[in-house]
Amino acid sequence: MLFFPPCRNPEPTKARVLIMTAHRLLALVAAVAVPAAFCYAGLIGDPPPPRINTITATNGQKRIQWTPYPAAQRYQIFSTDDLSQPCVPDTAGSVSGFSWSAPLVSDRGFHFLQVTPLTSGELLVANVLNRLAYGPTPDELERVRALGADNYIQEQMAPETINDPLPFETVTTNFGSGWQYFTSTGVANTSGTGTNFYIYLNLKGDCFIDDLRVVAGTSPGVGVNLIRNGDFELPLNPNDWVLSPNHAASVITTDVSHSGSSSLHVLASSGGTTRDSAIWQPVTGLANGTRYSLSYWFLPSTNNQLSSLTIRFSGSWITSTPYPVSSYTKLLNGAAGIDDLRQWHIQRAVQSRRQLLEVLDQFLENHFVTQYSKSRDYFDGFYNDANRMAQLAAQLEFKENQRWRQALLIPQCTFYDLLKISAESPAMIIYLDTVTSRGDAARIANENYARELLELFDFGVDNGYDQSDITVMSRAWTGWRLEFVDAANEFNPFAPKTTNVMAGVTANFNAYSNLVGVWSFNYKSQYHNTSSKSVFYIRDANGNPLSPKLVPDRFGPPWAGNPYGLVIPSRTGTNGVQDGYDVIRHISNQPFTEEYLSIKLCRLFVHDDFPNPSNDPANANFNFYNYAAGNLSPEADLVHQCMLAWENGNPKGQIRAVLNVIFKSDLFRSHGGSMQKIKTPLEYTVSAVRALRAANPNGTFTAQMDTNSATIGTPLSRMGSMNLFDRAAPDGYPEAGPPWISAGTLAERVRFIQSLLYNPAGAGGVPKPSDAGTSTADPVGLLKLKLPNNSWNDPGAIADYFLGLLFPAEGKANLDLYRTAAINYLNTADDGVTSSPFSSLTSASATYDTRLRGMVAMLMTMPRFHEQ
Amino acid sequence: MPNINILSRRAFFDRSFKVGLGAALATLVDIPWVMKRALAEGNIGRPGPDGKIKKMLFIFLRGANDALNSVIPVGDPAYNATNRPTIMIPKDPGTDYTAGSSCDFPQSVLATDPTFGYGYALRLGNGFAALHPSLKFLAPVYNAGDLALVHRVAYPKQSRSHFDSQNYWETGAPNNNLVKEGIFYRAMVESGLANSAPLTGVSVASSLPLSLRGSAAAMTNLTDPTRYNLLGIPNNTAGNAKADNFINTANADPFPDKKNRELLNLQYQNMANTLRIFAGINFAEAGNTFVDDVNTDNDAPYHLFPTSNATNGGYALHASDPQKYVVDTGAYGFFTNLKAAALVLNKTDAIVAGVEIDGFDTHNNQVGAKPVIGQHANLLGRIGWAMYALRKYFTLYSDQAKWENLAVVTLSEFGRTTIQNTSMGTDHAEPGVMFVAGGAVKGYGKGNPTGVFGCSPSDAVPWAPGAATGTTGSMFGVSGRYLKRAYDYRSVLGKLIRDHLGATQNQLNRVIPGYLVGGEHLLGGGTSMDGTPIMGEPNIV
Repeated sequence: MLFFPPCRNPEPTKARVLIMTAHRLLALVAAVAVPAAFCYAGLIGDPPPPRINTITATNGQKRIQWTPYPAAQRYQIFSTDDLSQPCVPDTAGSVSGFSWSAPLVSDRGFHFLQVTPLTSGELLVANVLNRLAYGPTPDELERVRALGADNYIQEQMAPETINDPLPFETVTTNFGSGWQYFTSTGVANTSGTGTNFYIYLNLKGDCFIDDLRVVAGTSPGVGVNLIRNGDFELPLNPNDWVLSPNHAASVITTDVSHSGSSSLHVLASSGGTTRDSAIWQPVTGLANGTRYSLSYWFLPSTNNQLSSLTIRFSGSWITSTPYPVSSYTKLLNGAAGIDDLRQWHIQRAVQSRRQLLEVLDQFLENHFVTQYSKSRDYFDGFYNDANRMAQLAAQLEFKENQRWRQALLIPQCTFYDLLKISAESPAMIIYLDTVTSRGDAARIANENYARELLELFDFGVDNGYDQSDITVMSRAWTGWRLEFVDAANEFNPFAPKTTNVMAGVTANFNAYSNLVGVWSFNYKSQYHNTSSKSVFYIRDANGNPLSPKLVPDRFGPPWAGNPYGLVIPSRTGTNGVQDGYDVIRHISNQPFTEEYLSIKLCRLFVHDDFPNPSNDPANANFNFYNYAAGNLSPEADLVHQCMLAWENGNPKGQIRAVLNVIFKSDLFRSHGGSMQKIKTPLEYTVSAVRALRAANPNGTFTAQMDTNSATIGTPLSRMGSMNLFDRAAPDGYPEAGPPWISAGTLAERVRFIQSLLYNPAGAGGVPKPSDAGTSTADPVGLLKLKLPNNSWNDPGAIADYFLGLLFPAEGKANLDLYRTAAINYLNTADDGVTSSPFSSLTSASATYDTRLRGMVAMLMTMPRFHEQ
Repeated sequence: MPNINILSRRAFFDRSFKVGLGAALATLVDIPWVMKRALAEGNIGRPGPDGKIKKMLFIFLRGANDALNSVIPVGDPAYNATNRPTIMIPKDPGTDYTAGSSCDFPQSVLATDPTFGYGYALRLGNGFAALHPSLKFLAPVYNAGDLALVHRVAYPKQSRSHFDSQNYWETGAPNNNLVKEGIFYRAMVESGLANSAPLTGVSVASSLPLSLRGSAAAMTNLTDPTRYNLLGIPNNTAGNAKADNFINTANADPFPDKKNRELLNLQYQNMANTLRIFAGINFAEAGNTFVDDVNTDNDAPYHLFPTSNATNGGYALHASDPQKYVVDTGAYGFFTNLKAAALVLNKTDAIVAGVEIDGFDTHNNQVGAKPVIGQHANLLGRIGWAMYALRKYFTLYSDQAKWENLAVVTLSEFGRTTIQNTSMGTDHAEPGVMFVAGGAVKGYGKGNPTGVFGCSPSDAVPWAPGAATGTTGSMFGVSGRYLKRAYDYRSVLGKLIRDHLGATQNQLNRVIPGYLVGGEHLLGGGTSMDGTPIMGEPNIV
């Protein structure tokens, strides 16, 4: 029998929930496992109170168990024997996890459960750092708690006001000084072109080399030099050194030398990658499988320059790049590969103070999907050099990404601005086949872009359009193509192909590899379908337009019933480019777009249960978003508010206005939005590094994301093929959880964490696994930075610190079982069995380091860390 | 033990898909999982009289396979160079495609001849249809009666969106965007083993496909079977055991209810269970010893699962000659996964395994310099060799699952346009073709006069040839542009789930609720809800 007497000692300052149940122990009440019958979607405010599940008395112990309550900081049992007396905290028993036990003294008693949850402010801080940012860092958690979540939101909404020094974005200019000696060694692989020897700068620039030697054996400089004129004392002879066009200005110079009277002045007008863009020599006398050593002297130029020198054999069986330039430098100069782009993008996600900007940028990247590989294949028709194609394709991705970032820094940035950037992006023109689409001479245009523009980028599936609209609209894009134009003409779609030839080229001026320019959006009117086009029109049986479609009633005011047809007049010549702009201007602010984009933003920031809208009354979702009918769920109401903010802005569609609505909403601020999402692989890896990354006084950090571009993308690929900038399907990487969580991908996530936490120097004689590349973490350093000395051997204090850092939204009381596990871990030796008290370890010892690393890895491989 | 049962019921209540799943499954949810096997109907996952379990391997061809160039209606005058100027697969002038009975199998005469030297459509012997020459390795499978080619397969109110249509194929619920669970997932739940056995449905892909996804039971996906173990700090036996122990224990800790907690809990359990099993299977198969038992193509016996140039047909045997490849060099990832799936089906109690091939969305440049080579030809070559190889593996090498216990089926979200587009490719259309192979399949000469279903004017819903110039006939049956369907994909999968895997009709009705809707005619055929006449289940097993 459940009985609810009023409690007589409330504490008004704490938010709290009371449950009371009375029991007579002699007649045990049957425990009822009442299901937590609420659904988190639609949950505003606090969840209903938890229930006591069981009350048992066995072996002289009474035990009370209850259902876990979200964000519970503390559970307490209050008791009294006599209901006329106040209930007092029952110190006879103790709480462990979600149960309380005490010695059984009397056969009668009244108990109630008091839950102290996290304050709404603390909950909001945790939520804000998980959604507006890629998770908290130790420093950010402290800062935002002090600042207050709302102030943080305001700060992040205006990224242009945030100072964001990013060390990896400073351009590399330090190449040492004076003549410097470098060596490298390797085993010869003479198959194919493996005997070709290259010298090149990777960007425009210059430098000096002298005394270049390749000798057999492991002692550089000892033995017969297989390089002809490696001391550069003789004039350049094409039989010894061949100068490719971009290095054609290189000369033997007597201005400086390391030894003898002259050296090689390497001068590049553009970056080199391989034989045909390098200074090269076919080396004879190499024996396959034999070890050789390279040595040379390098003098940096006094010119202000960015390029780095590479000396290598074809196949890179010996390679030397003494001063590699940063990924960012390469990106700015069109010399970056896709690995460099990923390195830069991921490092920004980890390090930037403008976290919301990073989150939005990634959202756009994953919304207006383009595919690096497809661009690279496109350039296969113009170039023979695979490296060059790869760089060009990566550059297209970088440029559209940069343009979105720059747009988002403008306070009044609208969705139209962002859509326009996407439509004009050469990567998009290639990706959805506009680049080969033709509408001239009654040809059928390629429908791919028109379809995805409506289905995925603007309206949402079947939301206000049908096949006829796609067919007609696809004609508007015919003629949108690419051209290699002068850099000055990058944003002029009518510009002609460049005639700017690289310095030093003496033949075949038309080969793209000899031209200097940039690939840009270019309009080719000869492919355009010049007829008039009526889009979003009701048609007769023959497909002729009758009248414009009307916005469905369910949208309610101010949209319902409005005609939204678009008539594009017949346009010829260069005027035809306007067709495409007409389309994007028209669809940017239609109610369907407002709705669909608002839904996507709500899914990103609140939770995943915002279904796609439908205009079909037979579809179950029709009434979900029936704004005219009213009686909306909290989710639908939020979408509606977003749409109104979009509509009522001047200009319409300001992103910040929509975000403001979301961040101020009850849904975002409540349990409905907290910890209800799952991290994508990018969010998981970035948040893992951030969670451990505090600033040391000397400017370094206690955790670092992989700095090796070649390996930074591997974990993301293994965790479900999340290959940034290279998705084959235009719907983007999933935002919801289930597609990312299976036994196989979980194993990869767990391995990433375990590798991240591993000591780079190895542990117990076993080297660090490579699953996290060169990512490192130093939890001991973090601990010593943040906790006072007298806690360094206190397993409880250490567990509390890391639990609060890793799971700030969970509530201390709900983490109690993890806490017990963490303390046990710290007190157990590496064999997993022998007791080894943590308190007796020396905090500077390797054992301490291994033990702590293992404990933190354990906590971060728990199921809760996958949640956002 | 966390309160999974309670949450599961709540999760089911959230589904609007209550009609199909209704009472029977709900009652199975609240009882202990170990009891479900005893209470489940049917024979899914139960060993048969030979002591072996019936299994299924599905291959999803993502991007929409061009069926008209795969199983080619050469007898239809509308399949011509006016409609497909550059991509039409030509007929061999010396072959009478209206005659014959078995499938032609052009093999190299000399060992050094190219593998795919024959440049014409391969006569299938039903008087109307032919195969793309890159599918030539299907011929031995077809002629043994182990292959069924089911053409004109789609569903009503066809979506031409990849994502929606793939979803519909994988959920078995066309035009229903609310269903978030897979058709094979539901079949595994019906077996009663879904939560208690560590492995029921397995995929070897980059992520778990929707067809195996569901909230009440975790299916396993392997991104790379050889890396399937966890690391400890230190990364030695003791360290790994310590880490594993803590992870597994902590997974059982209760937490307040949040949306994804149930899923995470289930998948962590699944991971722990399967880690143990997989440690005992040798996926790397050092030495790649699975080879054909006859001289393939009059050459030497080739490796069944090409995972490198050296194991790709006769490449390494003939001075690295690319003309001797049996699959394109982009196929090695797929065959690594296919081999892993075959090993898993053989060595474990998994009932359904799945893999996928990407790249079928041939909007542009579907063919190469000749119509019989290029993008699409390469992809078809993978299918052909895969069926050939699976038949050999499960006949010669497997021990716990044999070829007669296995059904292999391909899925693809739709077919492609009859008329090619200006980018030398094809766009999205409606019905496609399903390849169904297995020892239990009733193909040519095994209970059926032909292994071709749905590609003949003598079908119950005939393939109506069109005019040589014009837009009439089956190939223009929808909107004057697209081939018209005559089968529903659910009938094909339903037939396999019931008559091969062993579901009862009641169970099948829950797995594919369309069976309960009279107007769908999935079982016996009829005029579908959208007015299209369809045949019911093809007699393929």
